[in-house]
Amino acid sequence: MPAKKDETASFVLRFTQKIFQNEQKESEVQWRGNIRHVQGGEEKRFSEFKDVVNFIQEKLADLTILAMEEKSPEEQKGILSKSFDLWKRMSLTYPKMVIDTIKDPKAGVEQIQEEVNQQFSQVKEEVNQQISQVKDTLSARLDPDMWKPATKNDIQQMMAAIERLSKDVHTLNTKVEKLSK
Amino acid sequence: MDKIANIQAKKETASLQVQTLGTFQVWREGVLISSKDWGRDKSVQLFQFLVTARHQRALHKEQIIDRIWEDIDVKAGEQNFKVAQHGMNKALEPNRKSRSEAKYITRQGVTYQLNLSEIWIDSDALEAYISIGNQSLTSNPTEAIEAYRAAIDLHHGTYLPNRLYEDWSSGERERLQILILGAFINLSELLVEDNPMESIRLCQQTLLIENTWEDAYRIQMAAYLKKGNRPMAIKTFRQCEAVLEKEFGVKPLPETKALYQKIIAL
Repeated sequence: MPAKKDETASFVLRFTQKIFQNEQKESEVQWRGNIRHVQGGEEKRFSEFKDVVNFIQEKLADLTILAMEEKSPEEQKGILSKSFDLWKRMSLTYPKMVIDTIKDPKAGVEQIQEEVNQQFSQVKEEVNQQISQVKDTLSARLDPDMWKPATKNDIQQMMAAIERLSKDVHTLNTKVEKLSK
Repeated sequence: MDKIANIQAKKETASLQVQTLGTFQVWREGVLISSKDWGRDKSVQLFQFLVTARHQRALHKEQIIDRIWEDIDVKAGEQNFKVAQHGMNKALEPNRKSRSEAKYITRQGVTYQLNLSEIWIDSDALEAYISIGNQSLTSNPTEAIEAYRAAIDLHHGTYLPNRLYEDWSSGERERLQILILGAFINLSELLVEDNPMESIRLCQQTLLIENTWEDAYRIQMAAYLKKGNRPMAIKTFRQCEAVLEKEFGVKPLPETKALYQKIIAL
């Protein structure tokens, strides 16, 4: 069965912990795991986290390539490069977060929660800024001293502002949804 | 043993029985609901989703639409839900009078939930049996053996195999697989001394589900040793070594190696 959803990649990650004593009678911990790409069904076993990062990167690259089939080669190159940059940033941060969570689950969850809250506040701030900008624009237009019938140009400007605002709100909504997930 | 009997009794008394492991089937008053009765796949999908989300609080219609049909717009999602809900209720209760309350799906405003008092679900029963097995593992091994056997009897394969590529079913599938692997291992370990051949069979079943499960190789080696079959015990260790090297690039654990040393020294 082929991958079904072209905008979503889900992964099921399993860690199995093995604690044992080595020949020098020192305690050792080993992690064995597997990661499964839900939509495609492929699976990979690992004992080092870098293999997980590579597996996810490979699947995300496939997803990006699939999503931009219709675009020009220049656009494809740009998007792919942005996608890799984004993943590079994530892959540098999240393995540490996962390891911290394994060491101290409560603190790890709090750290993730904190990060989500920070990003959420940032998004909220951006939304508030956009709203105050629109308020300022509208109040300037509604100043009684400047009251005059709206010209065609005014209406066009307002329409353009509203359109920009709806796009921004849509982008922010997507961000909020991603963060909530 | 009462606890085990109670789980079995619920299967007899529930008017709706659901099989989720290995294949998906539903019996209404003992009669299998056919694919023709279900109509569109959307109806099956909605019911399977509600089965998967059975332990969560009641879910809002929009949450359900968002999880099952995440790529479509709101209007199409609403339409899908309407069609699926109609088909699902018709399949589950074909003789229900219009405007009367559905028996198996509890609806409060725009939230939906399964009415679990009327439904028996194999994966729920499997989990309950394993829980009994784990609780009586050291205090009452006879009860643990019976409970694990009952759980394994219910395991006909993976959870909702026709939804293997659906995001919403993945968590439950993984959770159940870990539970069943534990049941196989505990039961095979309990049987090593008294029934080594059965223990070997259970270990082989475990390895069919997950071929890197080292405990299964080790218990199988111990069971072969108990049977006096030294060559097969050695062969099992070699297999374990090869699989772990290929899949993880690691060596077997000292515990497994120690058992191997014991076997070759005989």
